[in-house]
Amino acid sequence: MISPNKHGIAALALLLLALAGCAHYPLNEPLAAYQPDQGYRFPAMASGKNTHSLFVCLAFSGGGTRAASLAYGVMEKLRATKIVWKGVEKSLLDEVDCISSVSGGSFTAAYYGLYGDRLFSDFRPDFLERNIQGELTAKALNPLNWLRLASPNFSRIDLAAEHYDEVLFGGKTFGDLPPGSPFIMLNATNLANGDGFEFTQDQFDFLGSDVSRYPVARAVAASSAFPVLLSPLSLKNYPSPKDYRPPKDITNAHTDFYDNRRRYQWARNRASYLTQSERPYVHLMDGGLADNIGLRAIENAYLRTSGFIRKRLNEGEIEKFLIIVVNARTQDQEALSRSESPPGLLTIAYKTATISLDNFSFETIEFMKELQTARKQTQTMLSACQQKLDTCPGQPPLPKLAKSIEPFVVEVNFEALADPSRRQYFLGLPTTFALPREDIGALIDVGQELLDADPVYKAVADSLRPPSP
Amino acid sequence: MEYLLVHFPRSRRVLVDDEFNGRTDELIELEAGTHTVALGPPYNFTPTFRTVRLFDTSALTPREIDFDLAE
Repeated sequence: MISPNKHGIAALALLLLALAGCAHYPLNEPLAAYQPDQGYRFPAMASGKNTHSLFVCLAFSGGGTRAASLAYGVMEKLRATKIVWKGVEKSLLDEVDCISSVSGGSFTAAYYGLYGDRLFSDFRPDFLERNIQGELTAKALNPLNWLRLASPNFSRIDLAAEHYDEVLFGGKTFGDLPPGSPFIMLNATNLANGDGFEFTQDQFDFLGSDVSRYPVARAVAASSAFPVLLSPLSLKNYPSPKDYRPPKDITNAHTDFYDNRRRYQWARNRASYLTQSERPYVHLMDGGLADNIGLRAIENAYLRTSGFIRKRLNEGEIEKFLIIVVNARTQDQEALSRSESPPGLLTIAYKTATISLDNFSFETIEFMKELQTARKQTQTMLSACQQKLDTCPGQPPLPKLAKSIEPFVVEVNFEALADPSRRQYFLGLPTTFALPREDIGALIDVGQELLDADPVYKAVADSLRPPSP
Repeated sequence: MEYLLVHFPRSRRVLVDDEFNGRTDELIELEAGTHTVALGPPYNFTPTFRTVRLFDTSALTPREIDFDLAE
């Protein structure tokens, strides 16, 4: 016979199990109707002090608090860089049109997108100087959370997202991102196909979902869900609204296998979300797995006919185009090479995961630079040919591009430091969400210093500098 | 990148893959591959769209296509 005490324990155990089963991550909301001109997309019109004629995009890499601090330092420098554009004096930060970010860089990007200049007063104490890693561990070890974590539909990433909401994002959704602030592209990686996943309405259209009602904190959590340490973040893939039709460049690209494999693969990955019955859920991890620089989303916007940069280039809206890549990549080669014994399993696993990412990131930056160089060469060639033609009377003029642009790509990278000991110090900083204050201060300072020392950035800043009084 | 030049008796905005991407008689810079080209309003042109496969073009030797005024 079971004693009443045992009955009570059994009942309590059943109740707790039931409660555990109830815990579920917040679901993304379905899209009521397809509205291609609504939702969180790049704005059709420039607003406030920002013009589209001076087009500035920033890419913030992954790398935990190290990356977030370096990006913050660059933001401070942009704010301090005074310019005159179209007769209006402002800071270069006022002209930032888009920020694409990954992992640690996503905290800085999302915070600026939501709160603007509050970044410069609150972000250091609210995030950079906190031991976020310790706080996340304490949450996971709190017995009150064990029950929820026992649920198959609630995991460590959901606890992390709750924490980011509490300390940083205050429950704000993408719909709360104020108009006039730069377009923020927070990037994660789809575990199923290894493709990048942007938290924008253009991407959510494929999921039949409304990003404007999705919490920014969860997007940042997905973007920074480092494998093993954090679990994947899941989204529901809903059937598309009845009036939805995929963008034309997606459907056209299906025939581009031989002509343009990049476009073909991009279209295939996007279109794969449209088979909802086969893929009712999407599981996301750290954006760094697909692109640890955050530049791929900008590259797509530059290349694709539906891309917000390509359209503006072809429409002649852009005159100067500046991309600043903030790359917090480290390279702790020395420690590895000093040891006689081969590295352990954990080090090998980490290196295996990150070496290919670093090589891929390098190639992404070089590809973007090559695209910009090719554009400059085309403009130079057209101009030179026209000058030759002008010497032959009666010849019709050559067709022109909508506008000749001045393109620039700047990379902020610790490797650019001339002093070997300083370079080694920054290249050896760990990837963590808890760094000592002196490291954070040094990272902020070096972000400003590296941007200031870059010859391309200097040339851009000089060309825009207000006249001396 | 590839280059497209669209001709029409009047100056008109050009739609590439349903997105405005330049004007007639201007070089339009695009990715290689298949694109659907049409003109902006008014809809007095024919055909209603053209499908082009862009490859091996240059700014000096763009792919050229024509639209006619519809009667």
